[in-house]
Amino acid sequence: MIRPEEIPLASILQSDYVFFLKGAPSKEETVKLLTDGLYPQVSTLVSARTLYERVTEVEKLNNVLPTGFYIPHAKLAEISQFHAALAVIPEGFLDPKSGITVKAALLLLTPNKPFFFQRHLNMLSKLSRLFQPEFIDSIVSMKNGTQVHEAIGKHE
Amino acid sequence: MNPQPSRLKQVLVLSTAMLSFISFWKAASVVLCDMGSSAFYAGGIAMNAFGPAFPWYVLAVMVFSGLMLMVYVESCAMFVRGGVYRVVNEAMGHSMAKVSVSALMFDYVLTGPISSISAGLYVSSLLYNLLPAAGIHWQVPPKLFAVIFAVAVTLYFWRENIKGVEESSDKNLKIMIFVSVAGALLMVWALLTVYLRGFRLPPLELRFTREALGWVEHFPWLQTIGLAGVFMAFGHSVLAIGGLETLAQVYREVEDPKIKNLKKAAALIFVFSLVFTGGLTFLASAIIPGDLIAGKYADNLLSGLALELAGPYWARLALQSFVVVSGSLMLVGALNTSLVGANGVLNRVAEDGILHDWFRHLHGKYGTTYRMINMVALIQIAVIILSRGDIYLIGEAYAFGVLWSLTFKTLSLIILRFRDDMPRDWMFPFNLKIGKTYVPIGMCVVMVVLACTVLMNLLTKRVATVSGIAFTAVFFSVFQISEGLNRKKARLYVEEEDPEEKLNTRREADIGAILPELNKPRKILVPVRNPNNLVHLKSVLETADDESTDIIVLAAKIAKGMQLEGESGDITSDEKDLFSSVVLLAEKYGKTVRPMLVFSNDPFYSMAQVGQAAGVDEIVMGVSGAVGAEVQLERLAMAWGMQEKSGSVRPVTAKVVWEGRQLSYKLS
Repeated sequence: MIRPEEIPLASILQSDYVFFLKGAPSKEETVKLLTDGLYPQVSTLVSARTLYERVTEVEKLNNVLPTGFYIPHAKLAEISQFHAALAVIPEGFLDPKSGITVKAALLLLTPNKPFFFQRHLNMLSKLSRLFQPEFIDSIVSMKNGTQVHEAIGKHE
Repeated sequence: MNPQPSRLKQVLVLSTAMLSFISFWKAASVVLCDMGSSAFYAGGIAMNAFGPAFPWYVLAVMVFSGLMLMVYVESCAMFVRGGVYRVVNEAMGHSMAKVSVSALMFDYVLTGPISSISAGLYVSSLLYNLLPAAGIHWQVPPKLFAVIFAVAVTLYFWRENIKGVEESSDKNLKIMIFVSVAGALLMVWALLTVYLRGFRLPPLELRFTREALGWVEHFPWLQTIGLAGVFMAFGHSVLAIGGLETLAQVYREVEDPKIKNLKKAAALIFVFSLVFTGGLTFLASAIIPGDLIAGKYADNLLSGLALELAGPYWARLALQSFVVVSGSLMLVGALNTSLVGANGVLNRVAEDGILHDWFRHLHGKYGTTYRMINMVALIQIAVIILSRGDIYLIGEAYAFGVLWSLTFKTLSLIILRFRDDMPRDWMFPFNLKIGKTYVPIGMCVVMVVLACTVLMNLLTKRVATVSGIAFTAVFFSVFQISEGLNRKKARLYVEEEDPEEKLNTRREADIGAILPELNKPRKILVPVRNPNNLVHLKSVLETADDESTDIIVLAAKIAKGMQLEGESGDITSDEKDLFSSVVLLAEKYGKTVRPMLVFSNDPFYSMAQVGQAAGVDEIVMGVSGAVGAEVQLERLAMAWGMQEKSGSVRPVTAKVVWEGRQLSYKLS
């Protein structure tokens, strides 16, 4: 259910930006793959290195959720809308800090403007509500980004 | 597949910390149940000490109680827990604090016997009139009856206190309403009698008995000084203001706005005491012949007043019954207050390590400090039996404790005026400002009166002086030895023992068990972690309406791993520090908090779980120096969403508060 004040995830996460990762990459590799994958969306606004540094800076303080979902995120003054990329990792990676196996990770970039912080919190809340273990297990078995995008649209 | 986030499997609720705050009416009634009860015996004792001038002195003592109440208001305005021990400790140091609390214990230990024996004597006097009317010609010597009665009610309240039955301010208020009605009826009837019969003002001449002169009889020159006699008489009447310390004990429970309500309570206590104790004693002297006051009615003055009024005998007997029932309720209430008060004071000093930990052992079933209660109750029973129902004897000794605790308190506040120039929320009037210091001229005058009275009491009251000094010395020695033993033990077992407050906790299997207790329309969740960072709790306490808001103070005990099944543990010293700070802050603002400790693997999940289970309207966090306000809100938002039931769209405000700033957002 989309709440009145929420932005639909399906509107900011395009199917082209859903990546199926093979094997069991580490947490850091997953973040790198996601930033690299998302970079074309913001390439005119920020350098790839800056983007990666901003994301990894935030990640020092971030935790994997007990549901097995991971939301690396950063706030960038250079952008004016949300950007997102999703990594689906069927084999999952083990987060050494918590011992949790992560099978889905979504990189979220939010404009660093006071007005957007409320939306940013809403989006984080929405993501953690949506990506429950059952939903993660269902998208892991999907074939492509379009199916995942449709499933997100259907569930939110 | 990863496991679902664990539910909070253990919740520790701090039952001692769930203070409910009371109105000024109730606070005044708690104090008056102790202080006002002296109306039933102070006049008779004073009459037997120095003759028919007694109403003037009882009245003067009641006027003086107004000044002492102001001293207590200043003390409470400085310290939320501003009893004698705390104030003397601040002003005169640890040793004098131990002496003062020993004198206070003497006061408490004698309040029970004097009140319960007095109640027994009143009941006995009533039975003396009622039984023959019912055709029963069975007489028990009044003093024997009073001793049996006093022992019985002491045993009853001993048991109640062991069981931890809280002293109910509601009950105190009901007793005071009942007593007020009886007192008003007695007063109106007495005024009517005076109108019908006329009256003469009591003489001012003092006629001390040999016993009342004490050692002064060996100093004839002192008897020639008029002012010395005035202070001697004043000292024999000063027991009428026993129970003032209860005001300091009850202040922590007074609701917001605390100082304003404290002042109202003090004014109420003063007016009631002046009219009830001072007024009725005066009317008794105007109506009852002097020989009857000194003899037949010496132990039951107000009962005698009822019987000596104008009107048919059956009506006077009915009024006597009313007076005796109300008086007995008030007097046994004072006995309970003394047990509760003594236990409270001993707990307080035990927290400071001056009473051996053996006394702090909690009752296995009721969680009360039963050894302290046992000690006080046993001393009280011993006093009752040893006194053989002689209320004059106990009354004289009682004045020792009353007077010394008032003297220590006043002297300490004078010293603090010079040692601590922090602004007071309220000050005793008549001050001279010199630099930053308000020189307490008014309080110094009070101190002079107290000092002169103390001096004369030491000389005139042999039993009180000897027993008071002996008791104080014994208690002081107990504190001294306990402190030494505790110090030695602290050196030996530094990691195992701590001198902190023993917090009563209740363990619940799940947060759901606590939810029915949270029944106010609005709920605020305040997570806490650091006792030195409670700015956010302070901001909530400053603004929340206690009537309509449940304030849930939540600490998370972080357990490693994902499964918390069977996780348990006792409250640590850090957690005790934290909750002690929370309780002190809640007391300061006079607002109820619901402190709880949950076992969780992440503090933000515990906030979200408790917040959603309780249906809170706001979550107010303190800022974390480690991660910062925005990251805190992000983590909470994630935890909130992760655990939110689908379809739940109730907006909740999440705030991070720090000095002078706050961030406020909605959780969806």
